[in-house]
This record gives sequence, structure tokens and C-alpha cells, in this order.
Amino acid sequence: MMSVGLLSCALRALSLRSSQIAGVSAALTGSRGFMTSACDRQNRSLWKQRDKYTVRPIGVKKTGGRDYTGKIITHRIGGGHKQRYRMIDFQRLRYEAGKEEQPIEEKVVEVRYDPCRSADIALVAGGSRKRWIIATEHMEAGDLIQTSGAIGRIAVLAREGDSHPLGALPVGTLVNNLELFPGRGAQYIRAAGTCGVLLRKVNGTAIVQLPSKHQIQVLGACMVTVGRVSNVEHNKRVIGKAGRNRWLGIRPSSGLWQRKGGWAGRKIRPLPPMKRFVSLPSAAKS
Amino acid sequence: MLVKMFKATVQRVSTSAYKITQNCKSKDSHSVLIMIPHGRRCLSTSSCLYGKILPRKKPRVVHEIAGLEPITYADKMHFVPGLAKPKFPPWERGWKEPNHYQSPKLEDMPLYKDKPCYIFNQRTNVLEGVRQALWLSKSVLIKGLPDQILTLAEDPANQIENQDERVQNAIKNSRLWDTTEHRPPRERFCPLVLNRLLHLCGGLQVTHPELAKRILAEKYSLAATWRRGEDVFQVRGQNGLLLNSMTPLPVVAGQEQIQSTADQALETFYPIVPTIDLQNTHVYQEKNDTGFRKDYPYTHAHTLFLMEMGNTPKLLPEQLRAKMVMFTFGNALARAQALYGKEPSILEKPIVVQSVATNGRLFQFVVFQLNTTDLQSDSGVKNLAWVDEDQPLYEFAKVKPLIKKKVVQVPAGLSGYQPNTFKKFLALYLHGAV
Repeated sequence: MMSVGLLSCALRALSLRSSQIAGVSAALTGSRGFMTSACDRQNRSLWKQRDKYTVRPIGVKKTGGRDYTGKIITHRIGGGHKQRYRMIDFQRLRYEAGKEEQPIEEKVVEVRYDPCRSADIALVAGGSRKRWIIATEHMEAGDLIQTSGAIGRIAVLAREGDSHPLGALPVGTLVNNLELFPGRGAQYIRAAGTCGVLLRKVNGTAIVQLPSKHQIQVLGACMVTVGRVSNVEHNKRVIGKAGRNRWLGIRPSSGLWQRKGGWAGRKIRPLPPMKRFVSLPSAAKS
Repeated sequence: MLVKMFKATVQRVSTSAYKITQNCKSKDSHSVLIMIPHGRRCLSTSSCLYGKILPRKKPRVVHEIAGLEPITYADKMHFVPGLAKPKFPPWERGWKEPNHYQSPKLEDMPLYKDKPCYIFNQRTNVLEGVRQALWLSKSVLIKGLPDQILTLAEDPANQIENQDERVQNAIKNSRLWDTTEHRPPRERFCPLVLNRLLHLCGGLQVTHPELAKRILAEKYSLAATWRRGEDVFQVRGQNGLLLNSMTPLPVVAGQEQIQSTADQALETFYPIVPTIDLQNTHVYQEKNDTGFRKDYPYTHAHTLFLMEMGNTPKLLPEQLRAKMVMFTFGNALARAQALYGKEPSILEKPIVVQSVATNGRLFQFVVFQLNTTDLQSDSGVKNLAWVDEDQPLYEFAKVKPLIKKKVVQVPAGLSGYQPNTFKKFLALYLHGAV
């Protein structure tokens, strides 16, 4: 029985060229010979391969928690309302072509809901480009926000929504959208209502307390936005019914009773040591 | 039995490739002809047995060392282990085949220029709306239509007989009696309303013989180029219906009003630059073309009719008015450059072009007067734009009445008809012929 199946496979492979089997053009597959065949799952992640930045929303292909083998890797994901992804520019200090090293002044055009994250996003326009950024708490349409990469000797008066390097801000400011390395783009403190606190500044580096009370040390040139992230009431919302969770794309958990090990429940333990994203010379380490 | 097995296997052929490898693995893993996903073979033991395709490693980077020629197996005509892979020159077909044409890079195109050009085309959706259009065309905004046109609207001699009734019939024909659907799509009723209103206005040719010297044209391509500051701007594209006439429109604003515009400053909107949302391209041709040939009898552009049907792309009223201002300016500038040449100068006889835009219910009116083609600097005599915003022709045209809690909120049929809007439409049509 197996051999008949294989024979039919072989016949199909022999009669058609490899690219025709999957219905994909020969230019895309780039394979030669008749023994190879093109896969039929080529555009799983093509929607996120776009290089050029655009303000227009992009259609998203949902994975349902499954990876390229087809098995569920992350449970409880699937379904939910269709979403369109808006490309957010996490690198605030991105200069326009030809205007390097000048402070960037932008105007907030619109603040809107983003289905892909808990925070709201703001469309800002400056110079001749528009981009989406994470909105801060009191950001409204028509505001002017500034981004500057300069670190002076005197700390800058921090206005909410502005973005400055950590070394330029006064100690004790509430910050969000923190970069770990200068130029990499914001990776920390982006969720709704979160904010970090700038604890102290130590010769060229700065120590920030994250919302989880962990403390990290980063270079003073890392860019950060001042204020709390928008949508502050997000953690106070009531889901209300199972259906609303399904609209959000959260599937029910497994009903299997699982014996509790030590993993459940609140833990009270001391903070881990401060993580340093700065390589100081060995004499300065203590 | 064999036929059934064959049918079953034929069904299995259509399942995805990796499942076939899994089915085959335990019994026939040594057989040769398996469907291989991704087009590559997975030779590690676990991949063969479990059908899992590991991600492909990046190929070895071959560096080119200047001065050293790699020894390749090109002469041998077959692969030889140890020799380098030959790099052949790209094959040229020798003749141009349209199906397999690869366009040259932007830098190699004949019309490539170092200086970029900002083009306003029919798909442009400017962020700042009318303010941006006014800056680009160096104009001053005046709200409301000019007085001459308003007096034309009020004059009873210029009305059509049974005007209100005939306009309402035209609207009902387009919105209610066209199809059996409840709501015809906007792409359907918007051009119908406009064409029916134009037909009504054209019926006045009996009493006003000057109206016969006009013609409607659609799908004409406009091109106008000008310089502003250090940048080059262009207006291009097929915008809408153009009503052409043999005689030019009379000048609307007097000399004193024109000279007084020199004192008014242009509105800027820092931090946004006025070139935002315009198409920025290095490959362009500085063209000035009215869209018609030189021997066309109806030389002067009279009114531009724009239809906003929400398809490509959807324009808010503010952006629609900006599009109107830019295209009327483009028409006027192309005409001025055809008449007086390309040298920037102040025009002795200003050129007037009108525009009407509609989405089927709301009408926007623009009258644009081009006073100067000297658009390089921000100071000096400026052009004038009269803009009349958001004039509804009617409020609702429903097939079924809107009833909430047993109370009729909006009755069926046409409701909320505004006669003034059509009077202004007619006045703009008659301007220049009365």
C-alpha cells in the first residue's frame, strides 16, 4: 500500500516541475532538478519582512501559538478579532535624512488605540515624515514634543512626552520606553500605565528602577521618554465574560487538574543584584 | 481494492509535504522519491527520522580579494571539488521582451536628476489640508464665494423654470429610483447626481447662447511645474471633469485687492514642512501641459468637477478642498505658462479657474485667481482662493424611514433640501457667460 502511494508521488513529481506542485513561481523557489519540491508554507512570516517604514497599517497573519512545524508552542493563543499592525518607531532619536544632530521637534497629529499592545499610540509628524510612537499619559492631538540627544551639565526641565538621554534628565523623573544600549531602540517599560524611575546617575551611567522593582544600570546616552505610558486604567479593566477574552485572542486554559508544586503563589524574596548593561573597567567594579 | 488504495493515496498526495515524509519514515525511509519541503534535503539523522526540517544555515561568505583571480571550474564545464564557483556575466537576451523586462535602477534612468521633485497627484492626501495647499500655491484664503457670483445666484433671470422641483427630481432619480437596493453605493449615485445637475444647467443654453461655447472633458492629464524656495513642485494627474470654454473667465478681484495681498503673510505650520505627504521622486520631467492640444478650440479651463467617492483613497472634506485648490492652481498655472511663457512674472490679466467637488450630498466650491507666477519667494503679490465649505444639497435621501421607538426620525424620500446650494452651483456655471 505504501509503495503505491510513493509511486503516485513519484509520478506527480516526475510530471510536474517542482515549483508547479506548490503553485509558486520558479523564480521564488530557485530550486533545480526534479527530486526537489517547493514547500507550501512560504508566506507565514512574509507580512513582517517589510524593510521600509510606513504609517499605513499592515495585515497580520495569526499563528495561533503554532510554529513552523505546526505544533502548539504557546498555549491559550488563537482566534480573536482581526488586527492590523502599525509599525511603531521605538527609536525616538531617529534623524531625518540631512538633519542629523539637530533636536527633533514633532507635532502629535492623533492618539489612537492599538490592537497589538496595551498602550495607546500617537501619530506624530515632524519635518516631512510621519511615524507612530507609544503615547504617554497626557498626550493629546496638537501637542509639540521634542527629542534631543544632547547631554548638558545642567539637567533639562523634563516635560512629559519629550525624549532625552538618561544623562540629561534630573534624578527622580518618571521615564518610559527605555533603551538598553544607545541606538538600539526602546525595549523596556512600554506597557500601558508603566513607568520607571531614574534613581541615580554615576559617572556616565544611570541606574533606573523598572516597574518590577528591579534595578538596572545603563549608559547615560540611552534615550528615554519622560512620563507614564498612556492608557493608565488598563489594569483596572474588568473582562466581564469569557467571550471578551476570546475576542482578545486568548483561548481557555486546560481543564486538567494539576498538582501544585512550588511554582504557584506569591513569592517574597530579596531583589536580585543590579543588572549592568555597561562594561566598566575592572577597577571600578565592586 | 487496488483502485480504492490508489484513490486513498491520491488524496494523501494533496496533504502537506512533511506529513507524507512522516508517513513514509518508518517503513520506507530509504526510498528515493519523497516530497521534500523547502526544496532542500535534511540529511541529519533526526531530520530523516522525524521529518523535522531544521532551519538552514547561512551559506559560506566568499570574499573577493582584489588582485587575485580565483581558479574556477568554468573551463572543465563540471564541478570539481576544491575549485571556486565561477561567476558568469548576466545573460542578455539581446532584444526587448515585455514579459521579461527588468527596469534599470533609478540612478541609471535617463530622467534621473539629483534634485528631488515633490509631486501632487490625484492620490495625494495632504496632512495639513487647505493650509498646505495655500502655502504651495502661494495663495491667500477668503471664506465664502465672491460677491459677483453670489449676485448671479440671486438673480431670478438666471434661474431654470421649476428649478427646485427639477433638482429634487434629479436627486431622487439618482438616489432612490436608480436601483432596487436600499442604498446604492456612492460610486454609483455620485456621478449620476453630478451629471444630472450639469444637464439641468446646460438646459439654459436656450436663454444664454454663450453657454453653447463650452465643452466637458474627462480623463485629461494635467502637468504644471513651478519652483518654490529651493524645491521643485509639480501637479500631475487625471483629476476629474473639466468644463472648458472658448472665452476666459472675467477677473474676480480688483487691482487693489490683489495689491493688498502682498502685505498678508503666508501661513506656515511648524514643525511640519509643507512638502509632507507629497510624492518625492528623483526621476521626473519638468512638464507644463494643459492636457489639450494647441489647436483645441475650447482653450480656457472654466470649472473643474471633482467627485469624492471614498475609494482611492478616502479624502476628508479638508483634504478634498486642498486637492481642489491644488488642481485649480495647476490648471491656471499651465494655462498661464502656455500663454505667457515660463518666465515667472506678475500677470496683467489674472487667470480665474473654478472648482466644484462633491461626495453626492456635500458640495465644496472654490474659485481660484492666479495673479502671479513668481512663486519663488514667499513675499510679493499672492494668488487668491475663495473657498465655500461643506454646502449640503440635501440632508437625507432614504428609501425606508428611520423609526426609533415608533417615532419617525427621518422620513422616507428626500428631506432637508437646500435650494441655495444649487443656486451657487448654477451661478458658478453661468459665471462668464451672463
